[in-house]
Amino acid sequence: MGSRASTLLREEEIEEIKKETGFSHSQITRLYSRFSSLDKGENGTLSREDFQRIPELAINPLGDRIINAFFPEGEDQVNFRGFMRTLAHFRPIEDNEKNKDHSASEPLNSRTNKLLFAFRLYDLDRDDKISRDELLQVLRMMVGVNISDEQLGSIADRTIQEADQNGDSAISFNEFIKVLEKVDVEQKMSIRFLH
Amino acid sequence: MHKDHLITSENDIGIELEDSEELEKLKEAVDDRKKLIQALRGKPWPMRKKLTTLRESQEFLDRYEGALGKGKGRKLYAYKVMMNKKWMKFKRDLENFKTACIPWEMKIKEIESHFGSSVASYFIFLRWMYGINMILFGLTFGLVMVPEALMGRPYGSMPRKTVPRAEETSAMNFAVLWDFGGYAQYSVLFYGYYNSQRAIGWLKFRMPLSYFLVGVGMVAYSYMVVIRKMARNANETGGGDDNSFNFSWKMFTSWDYLIGNPETADNKFASITTSFKEAILEEQESRKDDNIHLTRFLRVLANFLVLCCLAGSGYLIYFVVRRSQKFALDGFENHTWWERNEVNMVMSLLGMFCPMLFDVISALENYHPRVALQWQLGRIFALFLGNLYTFIIALMDEINLKRKEEDVVQLNMTMWESSLYNESVSENSTAPPMFSHPGDVPRGPCWETMVGQEFVRLIISDTMTTYITLLIGDFLRAILVRFLNYCWCWDLEAGFPSYSEFDVSGNVLGLIFNQGMIWMGAFYAPCLPALNVLRLHVSMYLQCWAVMCCNVPQERVFKASGSNNFYMAMLLVILFLSTLPAIYTIVTIPPSFDCGPFSGKARMFDVIQETLESDFPAWFGKVFSYASNPGLVLPFMLLMVLAIYYLQSTSKSYKEANVELKKKLQMQNEENKKKNKRAALKAAMELEEARKASSSRATEQHYNLTHPDQNALLNAGDMIP
Repeated sequence: MGSRASTLLREEEIEEIKKETGFSHSQITRLYSRFSSLDKGENGTLSREDFQRIPELAINPLGDRIINAFFPEGEDQVNFRGFMRTLAHFRPIEDNEKNKDHSASEPLNSRTNKLLFAFRLYDLDRDDKISRDELLQVLRMMVGVNISDEQLGSIADRTIQEADQNGDSAISFNEFIKVLEKVDVEQKMSIRFLH
Repeated sequence: MHKDHLITSENDIGIELEDSEELEKLKEAVDDRKKLIQALRGKPWPMRKKLTTLRESQEFLDRYEGALGKGKGRKLYAYKVMMNKKWMKFKRDLENFKTACIPWEMKIKEIESHFGSSVASYFIFLRWMYGINMILFGLTFGLVMVPEALMGRPYGSMPRKTVPRAEETSAMNFAVLWDFGGYAQYSVLFYGYYNSQRAIGWLKFRMPLSYFLVGVGMVAYSYMVVIRKMARNANETGGGDDNSFNFSWKMFTSWDYLIGNPETADNKFASITTSFKEAILEEQESRKDDNIHLTRFLRVLANFLVLCCLAGSGYLIYFVVRRSQKFALDGFENHTWWERNEVNMVMSLLGMFCPMLFDVISALENYHPRVALQWQLGRIFALFLGNLYTFIIALMDEINLKRKEEDVVQLNMTMWESSLYNESVSENSTAPPMFSHPGDVPRGPCWETMVGQEFVRLIISDTMTTYITLLIGDFLRAILVRFLNYCWCWDLEAGFPSYSEFDVSGNVLGLIFNQGMIWMGAFYAPCLPALNVLRLHVSMYLQCWAVMCCNVPQERVFKASGSNNFYMAMLLVILFLSTLPAIYTIVTIPPSFDCGPFSGKARMFDVIQETLESDFPAWFGKVFSYASNPGLVLPFMLLMVLAIYYLQSTSKSYKEANVELKKKLQMQNEENKKKNKRAALKAAMELEEARKASSSRATEQHYNLTHPDQNALLNAGDMIP
């Protein structure tokens, strides 16, 4: 385990990742080199501190939640497979994929799955609903103390009122999809500078 | 893949193509290639593949696009295509360059994210005014000041260009220069220096004509630019955006994930907060519905109070001006400093205290902050108009005084000349050339230069007042609040006086009136646009610093109306009002006999007549005289008025149709929402009923099991072996 060579990817692994996530060979090797540069401990896994070293994530109000999305339930380390599985959500949607029929299970980077990733950032308790409290938490992170608490409450109420269609005072995943219908999610939630 | 086929098949197509069918195929192939190149950036291919595809496609296009032209036109077609491509590239580079060149963009964006769009709109307005003044400066500097300085007669060669003997000793004093007397007065900065010689220098530059045309051109350019801006703003407000998910979008999509710099992140936080506050305010205002009668009564009362204020200040100004006219007759030396500067001081004090009074009165009115700002601007505008016309009346009085003085001087002049003549005749017998130093010649009081000086002094004092108010009112106050807070009994920062807010209305009006002064005075003092450019430049930096350093954002942050047409409308009114006096003086008052480019003429616009007669061929003069016939001009003006009326009514009907469509869309959205809610409710009720039904069936079955009927038991019993 001393040298980096022993932690290099093997061909079978690359093939498996390719099948699972849809990235190409060169993209996987490129992302692997990024993974290794983040992995300061050189033990083949990333911890939360490694992610917090990235400046864009450090100053992002939702940075901690994004980092959490990489780690499976209850674990503190993520290996390359897990890393790629999360990044697969951000693969750009190609033209020929848009028209493919949904015979196989939906690929990880479909519009619905991208929105599901975003939805899970807000829905902390995984009950498939964004409640008023969860919205308040996000607002406090985005705006801080500059707006009074009662105004924050009103903003959260108003957001739910705009989005809620079945009257349960929470935003379900389908309602979330409806809200972001006019937003170009395929463009905005994709990494375009891969290789 | 289709695209791969293209890449590999290019080598198969031959070069010589005369067949039209093959030409068609080639055209298709060329179009495909062009589309491929355009879409290349968005494709998720490796960089190497993208570069190879790009190179191959470009080679293909280079080789075969020219081949599309038939026969002899082929070379020309290829040339045209190449020039077209070069033109596109040039346009794109120009666009990039233009965007990078916008001055102060980062400063304004920073102010916008901390203070909101209404404060930023002032700075954007300031930047636009700076651009206009640069053009005006270019016109006056390049076409008036530089030719006279380079090609006109030098200082000291003529009476009008020389400091009079009596003033020579004090001509270099700083106090005199600061007052724009002495050497500053007898220079290209003012009207009086210019010579009335028809053509100067080896270029035969028509100086008087150029002076006149530059004056007219400045006004025409300003009108054109203001109206064009208004029209462009009106177009932009046309498109409305979808408001049905306003807060949700702000909530879920406002962060910019590509920000990596901590300072930019701070700005982004501030701008998200500001945008939420603006949205909250809009909501609050759109929901307010209180007692309409009370509100109306209060508003009428407020307007009545404001009218009283304005009437009072108008009378005060009139009274003070009369007094100063009396003092002027007595001679200024007999009065104290206050009495000498009474008019200026009263106007400055009014300008300081009345806006505050209007602010307090406007608390009665309970308007949306944007509307309240517009009312405030309108009222202070009316106050300053009073100032403006007082100033003009004072000026007119002085002009009349100077013209009477001029008649006296003209009389004295003939006597002085004859005395000189007599002296020289007594020395020689031949006809003597009259040599006398230009400084000794008695001068007429050049009223045009006096007018120019008044304007320049006004601008300078206005500028000084603004900067000093800024430094004391904002900066000193901020320092006191900050440092005295440590040893003061109550919290200076939270209570009185706390930090000041940026006064948008005062600053905008100051800017607009300043520009009005420039327009009024630029004909008589060509240095005014240069002075203004300097002033705006310093203002921009000073105010940007002061805003970020000493001011706090307003409590109620509101979104500026995107069009800014309100400022433009006021600017247009001021432009109209300030060109009126200048045009009046040009048309009615004869120019001074011994100074300026129009000296010796009966009226200033005679220079046009003179040019038409001497510089243009005869037929041109005839055509011009026909065209300026009232019989032709009046029907033309009538036609234009009718055209304006027609265009106005069509645009109104389009706007109404637009509003109707938007309302329909909104109603449709709400209907959909209601329908969905109803469907969901129904589905929930059905679910409830189904559950009840299944639970009742379950209890029935349970009941059946525990109390089976006899037959079933007998049957079951039969089955048991």
